[in-house]
Amino acid sequence: MYYGKVDENLIKELKNICGSKYVITDKDQMLGYRTDETIEAEKMLRVPFPDAVVKPRFVEEISEVLKLSNKKRIPVTPRGGGTGLSGGVIPVYGGIVLSMENMNKIIEIDKENLMVVLEAGVALGDLYKAVEREGFFFPPHPGDEGAQIGGAIATNAGGARTVKYGTMRSFVKGIEVVLPTGEVLNLGGKLLKNNTGYALMHLIIGSEGTLGVITKATLKLLPSSAAPMILVVPYSNRHDAIKTVLEILRGGVIPLGIEYMEREAMERSEEYLGRKWPTEKGEGCLMVMITGKDEDEIFSRSECIMRICEANKALDIFMAEQKRDQENVMEIRSKMYEALKGDMMALFDITVPPGRMGKFMKKVEEVSEKYGVSMSTYGHAGDGNVHVHLMKTDVKKYEKIKEELYEEGSRMGGVISGEHGIGLLRIGDLHISRDRKEIELMKKIKKVFDPNGILNPGKIFPA
Amino acid sequence: MSSSEYEGVMVFAQQKDGKVHPVTYELLGKGREMADKIGESLFCVLLGSGMEEVDELIYHGADRVFLYDDPSLQEFNVLHYKKCIVDLVEEEKPKIFLLGATTIGRSLGPRVAAALRTGLTADCTSLDVDEEGNLIQIRPAFSGSVMATIKTPKSRPQMATVRYRVMEEAKRDTSRRGEAIKKRARIEDTRIRVLERKEFEGEGSIVDADIIVSGGRGLKKAEDLRIIREVADLLKGAVGASRPIVDDRWIGRQHQVGLSGNTVRPKLYIACGISGSVQHLAGMRNSNFIIAINKDPSAPIFKEAHYGFVEDLYELLPELIAEIKRRRGMKTACITERSMRI
Amino acid sequence: MGHGAKDEKEFNVIVLVKQVPEAEDVRIDPDTGRLDRSSAEAVTNPFDLNAIEVANRIKERLGGKVTCISMGPLRADSTLRDSLARGCDRGILLSDKKFGGADTLATSYTLSCAIKKIGSFDLIVCGEKTTDGDTGQVGPEVAEQLDIPHACFVEEIKAITESSLVVRRKTENGYMILELKLPALISVTKDINEPPLPLLKNKIKARKAEIETWSASDLSEIGDVERFGLTGSPTRVVNVGSPHVEKETMMIEGGSSREKAKKLVDILEDLGFL
Repeated sequence: MYYGKVDENLIKELKNICGSKYVITDKDQMLGYRTDETIEAEKMLRVPFPDAVVKPRFVEEISEVLKLSNKKRIPVTPRGGGTGLSGGVIPVYGGIVLSMENMNKIIEIDKENLMVVLEAGVALGDLYKAVEREGFFFPPHPGDEGAQIGGAIATNAGGARTVKYGTMRSFVKGIEVVLPTGEVLNLGGKLLKNNTGYALMHLIIGSEGTLGVITKATLKLLPSSAAPMILVVPYSNRHDAIKTVLEILRGGVIPLGIEYMEREAMERSEEYLGRKWPTEKGEGCLMVMITGKDEDEIFSRSECIMRICEANKALDIFMAEQKRDQENVMEIRSKMYEALKGDMMALFDITVPPGRMGKFMKKVEEVSEKYGVSMSTYGHAGDGNVHVHLMKTDVKKYEKIKEELYEEGSRMGGVISGEHGIGLLRIGDLHISRDRKEIELMKKIKKVFDPNGILNPGKIFPA
Repeated sequence: MSSSEYEGVMVFAQQKDGKVHPVTYELLGKGREMADKIGESLFCVLLGSGMEEVDELIYHGADRVFLYDDPSLQEFNVLHYKKCIVDLVEEEKPKIFLLGATTIGRSLGPRVAAALRTGLTADCTSLDVDEEGNLIQIRPAFSGSVMATIKTPKSRPQMATVRYRVMEEAKRDTSRRGEAIKKRARIEDTRIRVLERKEFEGEGSIVDADIIVSGGRGLKKAEDLRIIREVADLLKGAVGASRPIVDDRWIGRQHQVGLSGNTVRPKLYIACGISGSVQHLAGMRNSNFIIAINKDPSAPIFKEAHYGFVEDLYELLPELIAEIKRRRGMKTACITERSMRI
Repeated sequence: MGHGAKDEKEFNVIVLVKQVPEAEDVRIDPDTGRLDRSSAEAVTNPFDLNAIEVANRIKERLGGKVTCISMGPLRADSTLRDSLARGCDRGILLSDKKFGGADTLATSYTLSCAIKKIGSFDLIVCGEKTTDGDTGQVGPEVAEQLDIPHACFVEEIKAITESSLVVRRKTENGYMILELKLPALISVTKDINEPPLPLLKNKIKARKAEIETWSASDLSEIGDVERFGLTGSPTRVVNVGSPHVEKETMMIEGGSSREKAKKLVDILEDLGFL
């Protein structure tokens, strides 16, 4: 693919479009716009500087920037909160990084239709707070609250609450998107049913910023329920814990989330944060989040789940009811990745059918022993999504481990990524989960949206 | 109980190893001011063994010092101290009785108040008295989000514990005259025994520091406190902390600044990555100079700061350390040059 | 004969607990002085959890029973249920309009009447303070009303027998080791232990448990009703105001972190701190 150069003239034009304050070319100031939360060692490609960072405030500006870039064939990499784990926002071919940080307004909380309309640069943390204040609840929670809504839609983010509510896709009802050629489309709306031709909106969701720049979204809200309860359930072995998960999912009471963590990863996180996990018992722990319309409902649901845990040899069933206790366990759980990151080589995001999860984790253990490399795991157990943290080792071993795990995952009917996406990182492995014809169609679709290949080039498949 | 027979202001002088705690001089300062306002006397009660600082209490404003000097009073024994003070108050009948809100005052005050069946207002940050001698007690309430004004309309004495380092110390005047009265302790109670007392060596209390550099939730992990420490060391200051990181045990509780920790009043307070909960603000807002560093421009800490730097501490502090070192380097270089010329 | 006497007497611990608003920074309308209840979920005072844990550990060692007492509105029964879920054996709620408006003196008097009504006890444990009242006075005042020794700021129990207790008590920059004859009262700091999470099955049981509720008339034989509540309180809150005048802040927002660092050092130099 041929790309044009960002020269002084182009910078001038960008400044004309967005205002000079919102166009950055100083290297120091661009430092933070080069990458995301992906592990350094895993980015086997170089992380280049962009030629410019543009921080537009209006959709019209984005449209102009894209029109200009399309004409001059300048690569444009859209960027949200930079919390991704697959290098999706790395400007591989330089060019322009389009940061959405200034498009951060919540436009409307529609109490009648239970919808929120907002700009793409709103941070998830701010969205949660804003809707909570109005008595609503927005379920998807990918983990890092610094993530932005645009990025969360572009990557169809998942997270701990997927068990009960599904991924972002289930809550996006409308988007405003700017095509690489500059046209602005409004897809969907405040509708719960919409059967009018191809669902282009759903094509954009999860397209990792390769088909268009999401600038606005309409999201479905739920009425807020009573404060959730978190159960912390230690087990002496993984088998019992995973069996519990499957029985809970069959049991009719679907919790908000079920997470499974193993001791090593927990201890690393405890140490990193200077916090203490509530129990020292067990090799692994389930963390079960339960919601309900009131305390009685929460307790009766908890009781059902308690019976299942007890029947599957849970060592204890602790309850975190108070905010500070919940914060403590959530914090330890969500900072595991950060705690391990420094010593990690790779984070696998393999997802298998939930029923196969125990088997898959067994395989992880075998591989870990075979290669003599530590691989602590935790997972969104209710979704069959297993995060395997491969500690630093040599590249050859890494390749072999990856191959074995991907192969085993596929054999079980799984995919190489459940929620982190392909991005830059898994670009060479897409064929493991998708066949040739599928990939061919995807490439054709890309061409239709982006004839010059300027938008987030080098992601999902090579530019 | 008729309140008219009560007269004067009495201050509890706290001592350790024979040395009077500085909060006492702050209480004497406020006590003197109030006693003058209502035209009555200022009393001071000192309990200990082999006490020598009696004159100092007079130089700092006491008209009369009641001295209980007895080996059984050398260490703080709440039952012994209570007995002496309750006896004295019943004899002397002061209108107002003040204690420092120290770990000793907070244990002794309530015990005395309950024995005297009177009110006690905890942790006052401001006191005044009206013409009738009614004590106007102001204290932070609900984590410092409001200030409550409290009165003790009928019961006497009106008792309050007062935060260390919120009131001005009394001026020392060696020409002041006063009376020292030796009292005898009548103690039989053996229900509490002090077996040992230990003071930690090394770092002094942050309450006494002139410069404090504090860290809070803006720090991502415990080990990052070393950036705060380095800045503090460069400025020869102490390290402070907001409550969340103390609760997480990243640093000892003696470093905690805030209503539930220490009230501080240093010459310079630098808050790094502290958003400024009301309870933290209430513990540091009287500092002479406040500099806040926080990446969130809407953080409440900025409302209390003289200078507010909107920046991530992880960005600013390393630069700050480098800059200080650089300038120090330059300065030493200048001095050397000059001394060489001489 | 020795163990016969031991069997006769149980070691009884009483824990004083209180229900408080959960929010860290409870919002108050400075004009009306009213608590903004919408932000205030009610929970057990966090310091009391440490007290309960101390009592549980002592029970493990010496056997006996742990009774928790709380004074508050009827809905404060949830705090007593929480205490039961965390291992206490008995919960008593003191609730009556006549108890309302109590300051620390009236509160400690009412609590001490209830403790007398319970009868025998060996140790009373309470938290260092409550997060709402923030005085830490009720504990020592209860001790005085019951005429028993007390220690505040207890950060470690060094030894305990049926007749005495050795504790380490925090001071500003060190500690004291105290021996107290029982019965006694201690108020404990947050650092004394890490209260564990309650077990779900205990919580479920506690939700259905009976909470004894005592009113003023239940205590009228022991205490003077005039000394309860507002009438028994010597102090009065006469005004609630906004805490502070805002300072004029010079904000430094623009520029690189390097430039800001320079600016900051300039300021420190100007003020004479370097």
